[in-house]
Amino acid sequence: MPEDYETVESDVLVIGAGGAGLRAAIAVNDSGQKVIVVSKSLLGKAHTVMAEGGMAASLGNVDPQDNWTVHYGDIIEEGVYISSWKMAEILAKEAPSRVLELESYGALFDRTPDGRIMQRAFGAHTYRRLAHLGDRTGLEIIKTLEHQVIHRDITFYDEMYITNLIKEGNRIVGAVGIKMNTGKIFLFKAKAFVIATGGSGRVFKITSNSWESTGDGIGMAYRAGVKLRDMEMIQFHPTGMVYPPGVRGLLVTEGVRGEGGILLNTKGERFMLRYSPEKKELDARDVVARANYREILEGRGTEHGGVYLDITHKGSDFIKHKLPAMYQQFMEFAGVDITKEKMEVAPTVHYMMGGIEVEAETERTNVENLFAAGEVASGLHGANRLGGNSLSDILVFGKIAGENAAIIAKNSDMGKINAEKIKNEIKYINSFFREDGKNPYDVIDKLTTCMSENVGIVRDAEHLKKALEIISELKKEAGEVGTKGMIKYNHGLLGCLELSNMLISCEAITNCALMREESRGAHTRSDFPKKDKEWIRNIITELGEDGNMKFGVKPVDEMPGEYKNYVKPEVYS
Amino acid sequence: MAEKEIELKIMRQDPETDKGPRYENYKVPYVDGMVVLDAVRYVQEHTDPTLAIRWNCKAAKCGSCSAEINGMPKLMCKTRVDTIGDKITVSPMAAFPLIKDLVTDVSKNWEITRKIPMFTPKENMEKPWRINPKDVEKSKEFKKCIECGLCMDVCHVVREHYTPYFGPMHIVKAASWDMHPLDGVDRSKYLNKEGGLGYCNITKCCTEVCPEHIHITDNAIIPEKERAVDLQYDPIAMLIKGIRKKEKVMK
Amino acid sequence: MAFSTKEENDSKFQKITRFPRELGELRFWSFVLVTVLAIYLMYVFALTEPVQGLTDPFYSPTILVLPLVAGFRATCYAYRKDYHRHLFSHPIGCSVENFNKEGEVNFPGEKVGRPYSGETGIFRLENLHRYFWYAAVAILPFFYYDLYLAMAYRGEFTLGVLLLILNTLWVTLYTFSCHFFRHLAGGNVDCYSCPVNKKSYRRTIFNRISKLNGHHEMFAWISLASFFLVDLYIRGVAAGLPINILLFRL
Ligand SMILES: Cc1cc2nc3c(=O)[nH]c(=O)nc-3n(C[C@H](O)[C@H](O)[C@H](O)COP(=O)(O)OP(=O)(O)OC[C@H]3O[C@@H](n4cnc5c(N)ncnc54)[C@H](O)[C@@H]3O)c2cc1C
Ligand code: SF4
Ligand code: SF4
Ligand code: FES
Repeated sequence: MPEDYETVESDVLVIGAGGAGLRAAIAVNDSGQKVIVVSKSLLGKAHTVMAEGGMAASLGNVDPQDNWTVHYGDIIEEGVYISSWKMAEILAKEAPSRVLELESYGALFDRTPDGRIMQRAFGAHTYRRLAHLGDRTGLEIIKTLEHQVIHRDITFYDEMYITNLIKEGNRIVGAVGIKMNTGKIFLFKAKAFVIATGGSGRVFKITSNSWESTGDGIGMAYRAGVKLRDMEMIQFHPTGMVYPPGVRGLLVTEGVRGEGGILLNTKGERFMLRYSPEKKELDARDVVARANYREILEGRGTEHGGVYLDITHKGSDFIKHKLPAMYQQFMEFAGVDITKEKMEVAPTVHYMMGGIEVEAETERTNVENLFAAGEVASGLHGANRLGGNSLSDILVFGKIAGENAAIIAKNSDMGKINAEKIKNEIKYINSFFREDGKNPYDVIDKLTTCMSENVGIVRDAEHLKKALEIISELKKEAGEVGTKGMIKYNHGLLGCLELSNMLISCEAITNCALMREESRGAHTRSDFPKKDKEWIRNIITELGEDGNMKFGVKPVDEMPGEYKNYVKPEVYS
Repeated sequence: MAEKEIELKIMRQDPETDKGPRYENYKVPYVDGMVVLDAVRYVQEHTDPTLAIRWNCKAAKCGSCSAEINGMPKLMCKTRVDTIGDKITVSPMAAFPLIKDLVTDVSKNWEITRKIPMFTPKENMEKPWRINPKDVEKSKEFKKCIECGLCMDVCHVVREHYTPYFGPMHIVKAASWDMHPLDGVDRSKYLNKEGGLGYCNITKCCTEVCPEHIHITDNAIIPEKERAVDLQYDPIAMLIKGIRKKEKVMK
Repeated sequence: MAFSTKEENDSKFQKITRFPRELGELRFWSFVLVTVLAIYLMYVFALTEPVQGLTDPFYSPTILVLPLVAGFRATCYAYRKDYHRHLFSHPIGCSVENFNKEGEVNFPGEKVGRPYSGETGIFRLENLHRYFWYAAVAILPFFYYDLYLAMAYRGEFTLGVLLLILNTLWVTLYTFSCHFFRHLAGGNVDCYSCPVNKKSYRRTIFNRISKLNGHHEMFAWISLASFFLVDLYIRGVAAGLPINILLFRL
């Protein structure tokens, strides 16, 4: 097993090559500092490629009444008043320039008849706002940024799994990673660090997220003493595929309902008329997701545990033209012709609103020289995310994080690293190579099943407590996992490392969910079904002195008076 | 259904330690609607965690899981087991150097991409840019490319010969910029001179395997070839272009 | 591995490209032999005069333009695919089978590259396709003239006339679904509506031709088959077979 390592230096190290990471790297490069990007998957394959619908920005090309204040109001209302108002303001103001900037980098968007960027409607946005390229917006964004990175003086190490950050005092000075395709261990020394590792959707069994969303960034940050916020807020997308089992959780885009698809139970009833007579299928994601969940729970679901989504009435030509990717997806994966048959769908874990707490204007964390942006960061989306806001989020805040990291890097020197720490980290990695090791995937399977069963869309104290018990048991089991063979491209090893990070996310999610004794946005408690005024607060998670997880509650920052005019006042029943 | 099993043959080799490749046999329980990636991952998670595979989205969107399945380059996550029978052979893409088992080194692709001049907007355009909705279509087809490299793998030029040819995936990339309505650069001559476009002999194998159904040969390669002819071989066209001199030509 | 770039393989590349090795292959020479023989036979048994008003398409307008027609087809993208694959076995097939004929495992990466120069050696001449296309368009009116001749011959619409009409139709479709014509008509334009509200007929033309172009390969083969068929048919008529059946009088 390897003992030695290679050291690489740069001004800024960006961990993660999704939209947020790449945009941050470009920002650092623009300011003339040397930057390295690392990612766990290949360059250009990050989770961001999966985004379909589009990127929200109040360009006002289709609905000229739209402007940043309306977008701002939408974010706060959908986030049920626990978002950071400052982040919401920055996003609403900056998103349009990020779209135009992408265009200047060579991204193409669909156009309006008069040649401007087309914008489509999406659940709970007041106006049509999503810039898009067919149903492949994420792909277009990631490819555009990827080629910027390739053509600029930016070094990237892909298939580099970062295991931990190295901290000296209250400052991050390095990061240790395994280059998976060679099996070499690397030490990255830098003056500033940006975490952009995306969410942790994979801690649930049924999820639309890609393989890499195991919450590594959250894990490594937490271990380094970074504060996490609102970890209980997990967005469920109402429509994920159900059958066949291999594709369970795979996203069925909101566009299907946007184009007129309706939801039916096995009795043939259009049940959304009951749950939301006005907005029906196009109500906010949490409302529709809960409705689907109820129907299935109360026995009006299909044998595979789903409800029907039906768009056949729109006709074959319309469907093939408007939803080509969905048509293909069902044809190829499920053998279902959606122009003739109904789709089977059920809620699936989609997005993490919670994550690393950052300062709104700079994306700084509470640990020095460390920044975070993208899905891994938290604050903007509050208790629920608006569709399409994530792509704007990763670009707007990715850029800000990169710029500020560059400033800090300019004014800092390279920190000293205690060689002992690196040795320990390598020892930790090597400790997983043992003949008698338990299979990490068995443990992961138990963990994800437990999360999906007990910390799902509708929660209660009993199940949450049960989940906590299982998690603490699995934590013990995690101490016994191991793998065989060589370090190079060893998935068993990755499983072991990821498991430790997943456990941190799970523990935080479950505990915060237990603490928040109300129902707000995506967080629903059957034992506390009402929204509670007392809970206009954020839950903060951090590593305690004693090595246990510590939780705290703090009130949401109050927005300045004039901003209150942009938002409907909150109502309690 | 649970009793049904599929026979999986996977190529195994770590070039650093193993002399040659070998095929190993595995039995995997069949699950309804399962794709090849499910089967391979079953092996990885239950039989041998050291089996190296590359995957990410499992939704045919990222282009990571390319491999040769029963002798055809395909995405593992998009190939349903019931469409190819229960005897399945999986080997890595042979056009790329092997890293381990099913994982290949595709980093050459970045080197090539770096050489192709990026999107460069025409000069003096009024902002915000306006594009007719119909003018988006040409480039949009190539924007579907998920960079899976299957077309590179099947292309006999890339696979069997030593040539300077960039390969179909990169021609698609170049075409996506060339045919961007507001792009001000013509890359065709460069592709022909440096990128070895002439080595492609229009055999259309790449078009057959593209999971995104891009008409690689008809819509990207042949138009680029025709443009290169305009600039390199056809005296009349060269004369006309010379007089007009609108577009910047690379090299 | 085969996937390499110019810098790395310059020396190898030098060796390979200078002489088009494909020409050394047996399959190629047998093809050339057959072609030469066919052309020779056509000269010897020429059908330069119309038979019952029917002009053999091979002799329209005269056999002297045959090289032009042949050149048009030889440089056509549709035929290139076929002869590169089937005549020169580059590649043998699209599948990437890792087993050889005896069923033994032939592992990926062990393949040895055969000499190959693609369209950079002598096949660079294929880039002259467009000049052949111009010639083909110039010849096209003669086919229509022949149609006129055939119908005017006795004012009768016979099976022969019908075949000629079909033949002409296929040739026309083949000619105008050509990749070069598609390029000429609008393929070389990236922005049809610059500025954005400009009306552009070229886009419409381009899209229509693109549709036709999708069937180019089919037209190529049908029209070729039809050429031979009609030739055979007219030879039959010339030999006195009663096959030029009267369909109706004009
Ligand atoms: C199916 C689907 C559809 C979606 N549609 C939309 C939409 O229409 N509109 C919208 O706004 N949002 C959408 N989203 C959400 C959005 O795509 C994501 O939230 C967003 O892309 C996250 O980007 P990111 O840059 O933060 O992280 P990611 O794209 O997740 O990137 C994370 C990066 O970190 C790297 N990484 C992770 N761990 C490590 C480690 N240990 N070491 C090194 N590197 C590591 C990864 O390799 C990766 O490069 C969708 C999501 C899904 C799943
Ligand atoms: S058409 Fe050209 S690029 Fe495509 S497989 Fe054939 S030779 Fe390769
Ligand atoms: S063109 Fe098609 S086959 Fe080639 S890399 Fe792109 S998506 Fe894959
Ligand atoms: S895993 Fe992403 S394309 Fe197969």
